[in-house]
Amino acid sequence: MESNRFFPIAILAAAVLAACGSVPTNDSPLAQARAEYSDAQANPQVASLAASELRQAGDSLDKANAASAKGEKSAHVDHLAYVTRQQVAIARQTAAQKAAELDVANAGAERDRVRLDARTREADSAQRSAESSQRRSEASQRNAEASQRNAEASQRSAEASQRQSEESLRLSEASKRQSEASQRQSEASQRQSEASQRQVLAERQAASDAQLNAQSARQQTQDAEGRARQLEAQLKDLEAKNTERGMVVTLGDVLFDTNEAQLRSGGVRSVRKLADFSRQYPQRKLMIEGFTDSTGSQVSNLDLSQRRAGSVRTALLEMGVNEDRITARGYGESYPTAGNDTAAGRQQNRRVEVIVSDENGNIAPR
Amino acid sequence: MNRIPGLRGWAAAACAAFFVAGCASTPPPTEQMAVSKSAIANAVSAGGAEYAPAEMRGAQEKMNRADHAMHKKDYEDARMLAVEAQADARLAEKKAESAKAQKAASVTKDDIRVLREEINRKPN
Repeated sequence: MESNRFFPIAILAAAVLAACGSVPTNDSPLAQARAEYSDAQANPQVASLAASELRQAGDSLDKANAASAKGEKSAHVDHLAYVTRQQVAIARQTAAQKAAELDVANAGAERDRVRLDARTREADSAQRSAESSQRRSEASQRNAEASQRNAEASQRSAEASQRQSEESLRLSEASKRQSEASQRQSEASQRQSEASQRQVLAERQAASDAQLNAQSARQQTQDAEGRARQLEAQLKDLEAKNTERGMVVTLGDVLFDTNEAQLRSGGVRSVRKLADFSRQYPQRKLMIEGFTDSTGSQVSNLDLSQRRAGSVRTALLEMGVNEDRITARGYGESYPTAGNDTAAGRQQNRRVEVIVSDENGNIAPR
Repeated sequence: MNRIPGLRGWAAAACAAFFVAGCASTPPPTEQMAVSKSAIANAVSAGGAEYAPAEMRGAQEKMNRADHAMHKKDYEDARMLAVEAQADARLAEKKAESAKAQKAASVTKDDIRVLREEINRKPN
């Protein structure tokens, strides 16, 4: 009975001991996991780039070690060791991935640096070519200066030889001058005799000039006299009357169309004579005054007198008389020269008078 | 009297057996199964089949075995297989990502080398 009593406990203990498993050998999965984990830990790339993955592997290894120490089933320990080894591999792969990604990132920077280098080289080469062309231009400038110097030197030597030839020329000229001097002396005495001869001629000329001046003065007085006579004749031709206000030329009614301002051909002739006279005596001014008889209304008479005076003025202007020198106005039936009770008197009153100013352009007001 | 110690012994044995059985019967690792399957899917989409075919095959085979264990209600086996499948899948994914990054790095380095040659070839 005693043995019966402890038998189940013995079975239980045996079962528990059997579960306790075996001590790991060197080539057991757990030993491999430990070795791989410590290798990865020693790798600085894995330790720095995959720290968290490595920690997970370490946790799994701790569990595996604990399970092995507790003598758990070898299948369980092997399982934990397997998971540990896979996690160590994951840590290694993670580190490799991150290193590659860093390479790519660094490569971008390196590409930029390579391009920068290339640009720097291009800039350097451009600068070098600029410098070399500057050197070339300096060299050609130096050449130009040298050739200019050569030209100057040859010019100087040419000048020197010219000076030499001038010197010899001067020597020959000096002897020439000596002979010329004696020639000049003889010429001078000749000139003196010529000068006295010229003086005689000049005096003779002055005498004849004085004679001519006297003649021209006489001519001028004759001209003035002639002009005065001509003026008189011309005014007489125009049947001018000498009045208190000056010479007055009367253009009669017959020179105009009846009751119109239009000049007839005879009137135009008279006006042309006035224009000729005016051109000859430009300092004299003309005052044109129109008059009518008392037949008809005062307004229409004033208008007709104004229009007749105006048409004479227009005719004179067209013949080239300056408008500053002509004044025209109408007086209507005022200032009659005869009675309006007879036809002859009325015809005398219908007229245009042109008053010629004195030589200063003055006309006495009416 | 005779029965009592025998009864006590059997009761202790039954208690121990129950304890051991209770230890072995872990609850179904549903969450771990889901996490592992998701890890495998991630590894596939990262290109694990191309860059880490051995790890990928291991992960899928272990996942199949975990499913089988789940079916047999062998939950401890299922959990361990699922955990190992997850570790394999994560390794496959990392290998794929690392390989891609290294490829990109080598392409960039090549680009720079070509660029440098191009620049050096230019006459100054």
